[in-house]
Amino acid sequence: MPGRLSILQLGKVLFAPAQVFQSVAAAPPGAARVFFGFALWLGLLPPLFAYFGTLKFGWRLGVAPVFLPQPTILAICAAYFAALLLGYVTSSVIARWMAVTYDASQSLGRSFALMAIVGAPLAVGSVVHLYPHAFFNLLVLVPVLIWSMYLLYRGLPVVLATGPNRGMLMASALIAYLLVALVSLFGLTVALWGSGIGPLLGA
Amino acid sequence: MHYEDRLVTAFTGAAVAWALLGMLAGVYVAAELVWPTIDFGLPGLSFGRLRTLHTTLVLFGFGVSALIGTAFYSVQRTSHVRLFAPTLGWAIFLAWQLAIVLGGASILAGWNAGKEYAELEWPFDIAIALAWVSFGVVFFGTVATRKVESIYISNWFYGALIIVVAMLHVVNSLELPVSLGKSYSLFAGAQDAVVQWWYGHNAVGFLLTGGFLGMLYYFLPKQAEQPIWSYRLSIVAFWAFVYTYIWAGPHHLHYHAVPEWVQSLGMAMSLILLAPSWATMVNGIMTVSGAAQKLKTDPALKFIVLALAFYGLATFEGPMLAIKSVNVFSHFTEWTIGHVHSGALGWNALITFGTFYFLVPRLAGAPLFSARLANAHFWLALAGVMLYVLSMWGAGISQGVLWLSLDNLGEVRYSFNEVMAAMRPYYLLRFFGGLLFLAGACLMAWNLMRTFAGRSTVLARPPAMAAGVPA
Repeated sequence: MPGRLSILQLGKVLFAPAQVFQSVAAAPPGAARVFFGFALWLGLLPPLFAYFGTLKFGWRLGVAPVFLPQPTILAICAAYFAALLLGYVTSSVIARWMAVTYDASQSLGRSFALMAIVGAPLAVGSVVHLYPHAFFNLLVLVPVLIWSMYLLYRGLPVVLATGPNRGMLMASALIAYLLVALVSLFGLTVALWGSGIGPLLGA
Repeated sequence: MHYEDRLVTAFTGAAVAWALLGMLAGVYVAAELVWPTIDFGLPGLSFGRLRTLHTTLVLFGFGVSALIGTAFYSVQRTSHVRLFAPTLGWAIFLAWQLAIVLGGASILAGWNAGKEYAELEWPFDIAIALAWVSFGVVFFGTVATRKVESIYISNWFYGALIIVVAMLHVVNSLELPVSLGKSYSLFAGAQDAVVQWWYGHNAVGFLLTGGFLGMLYYFLPKQAEQPIWSYRLSIVAFWAFVYTYIWAGPHHLHYHAVPEWVQSLGMAMSLILLAPSWATMVNGIMTVSGAAQKLKTDPALKFIVLALAFYGLATFEGPMLAIKSVNVFSHFTEWTIGHVHSGALGWNALITFGTFYFLVPRLAGAPLFSARLANAHFWLALAGVMLYVLSMWGAGISQGVLWLSLDNLGEVRYSFNEVMAAMRPYYLLRFFGGLLFLAGACLMAWNLMRTFAGRSTVLARPPAMAAGVPA
C-alpha cells in the first residue's frame, strides 16, 4: 500500500526527519499525493509571509524602507509562488533523471517526497519574510539552508534507496543544480525588471 | 633516470605558502570594508594596495605555482619521460617566486601599472614574460620528447594555458616606461579598455579555467581510478572552449564607450561558452560517479566533487551575468565579487586542495598525516564559500535595486554613501566566510607539512614504455 506524506505531519518532518525518511522509504507515497497533500501547502507559506510583511513594513534593504502598492505586492507574491512550485517540480524531476546515473530509485513519488522534506525547513523558516529586512532574512535563512543541505545529504540515500557514497555524489550533483536554478531565478528576475516588467521603485 | 619531482614539491610548497598569505590579505581587506580605520593611515595597508596584493598573490603566487607544479608532475607521467631541461625548470621556480616577492613589495610601495590583474610594473612584466616562455620551453620540450604516441588531454589544456597567457601578457603589457617604477600603456581610451578586458577575461579563461581543467583531467581520473568518462567529449570541449573563450572579454564593458557590436559579440560568445564548460563538467561528474566507493577512504575526492559543483555554478553564472539586460543590474555590485569567488574559492581553490591531498602523500611516499583534518578542512571550505557567495548575492541584489531606484524627479534616490553603509552587515558576513576558508587552508598547510616532515621527495621512475597508452 502506498504511504502518505501530508501537511499534518509537518511537525514530524521538521523535528524527526530521520523517521520520516525511513517511513517514506518503507512505503513510498505517490507523486500527486505528495504534491497536493504536502508540497503545495508548504509552497504557499513564503509568498503569504512575504505579502503581509511587505505590506506592513516595506522592503528594507538597509536604507529607508521601500513601500509598494498592494496590487504590485500581490503580483510579486503570485510570481514567487509560481517560481517556488516550478522549482520544486523541476528539482524532483531532475532528481529522478539523475537517479539512473547513481543507481537510485527512479520513483517520482520518492523524489517528490525527498525534495518536499528537504525544503520544509526553508518554507517554515520563511516566516522571517514577515519582516522583509534583507539582511535579517539572509541571517536567519542561511543556517536554515545549511540544515536543508544536511537533510539532503542524510535523506537522499535513504529515500532514494542508494548507497551512502553514491548518495553523497548525487546530493552534490543536485546541489549544483539547485545553485544554478537559484542563480537563474535571480538572473531572470533582474532581466525582467530591466525590461520594465516589475515594480516601479520610486518614480 | 627518475622524474624531476623535487621541483613539483617546491612549487607545491610555494603554492601553499602563497595561498595562506594571499587569502590573509583578502580577509584583511574584507575586514577593512567593515572597519575602515584598520589601515591605521598607512599607505601600505590601504585598501587599494592590499586588495591588489591579494589578487596578485592568489592568482600568480598560489594559482600559477600550483599550475606549473602540477603541469610538471603530469606532463612527465603522461609522456613517460623526465622533465626537459630540469635546470631551466629550477630557474623558473626561483624567478617566479622572486618576481612574486619583489612584485608584492612593489605593490605595497605603491607601484601600479593601472591595469586590473596586471598591476605589476614593466620590470616585472619583462621578468614574467621570460619566465613564462621558459615554462613553455620546459613543458613543450617534455611533450616533444615523449615516449608515448598520443598527447593526453591534460597537456592540451596546460599547453593552451602557456600559449594564450604568453600572448595576452605580452600584448596587454606593451607600455612606455618613464621611470623604473612607472610606465604608460601604449593603448589609449576604448582600445586600452578592450585590450585590458581581452587580457582580463582570458586570464580567467585560460589560467583559472583552462589551466585548472588540465589539472582536473589528469588528477581526477588518477584519484577516481577510472578513465575519463568520454575522451572524445573532452577533445571536442577543448577546441570549442579555446575557440569561444577568446571572444568573450567585451562583456566586461557593457554600456561603456566601446562599439555596441563589440559588446553584443562578447555577450553572444559568452553564452555559447556555456556548452563546452558544461560538457567538461558532465565529463567530470560522470567520471567521478563511477568511483563512489573511494569517497569513504579518500578525503581528496570530496574536494573534487564539490569543485565540480562550483565549476558548474560559476560557468553558468558567468554567461548569465554577460547578458546585457542582467549586467545592467549586476555591474558595479557585489554580485560580481560573489561570482568571482564562487569560481576562485569554489572551483580553483577546492580543485587545487583536492589535488594537493592526492599529490603530497605521493611525493612524500607516506600516507596523509590526518584524514580527519582533511575532512574538517572540507567542511570549513564549504561553509566559508557558501557564506561568501550568499552574502555577496544578498549585497549585490540589494545594491542593484538601490542604484537603480529613482525619485519622483527621476534622480538617483540613494546616495553612494547610503548604499555603501547599507552593505556593512553583508561585508561582516563575507569577512567570516573568508575567515573560515582561510582557517581551512591553514589546517591543510599543517596537514601537508606534517605529511612531508622529515622526508624527501620520492624519486619515481618512468614506467616501462607502452606506446600509445596514456599513463
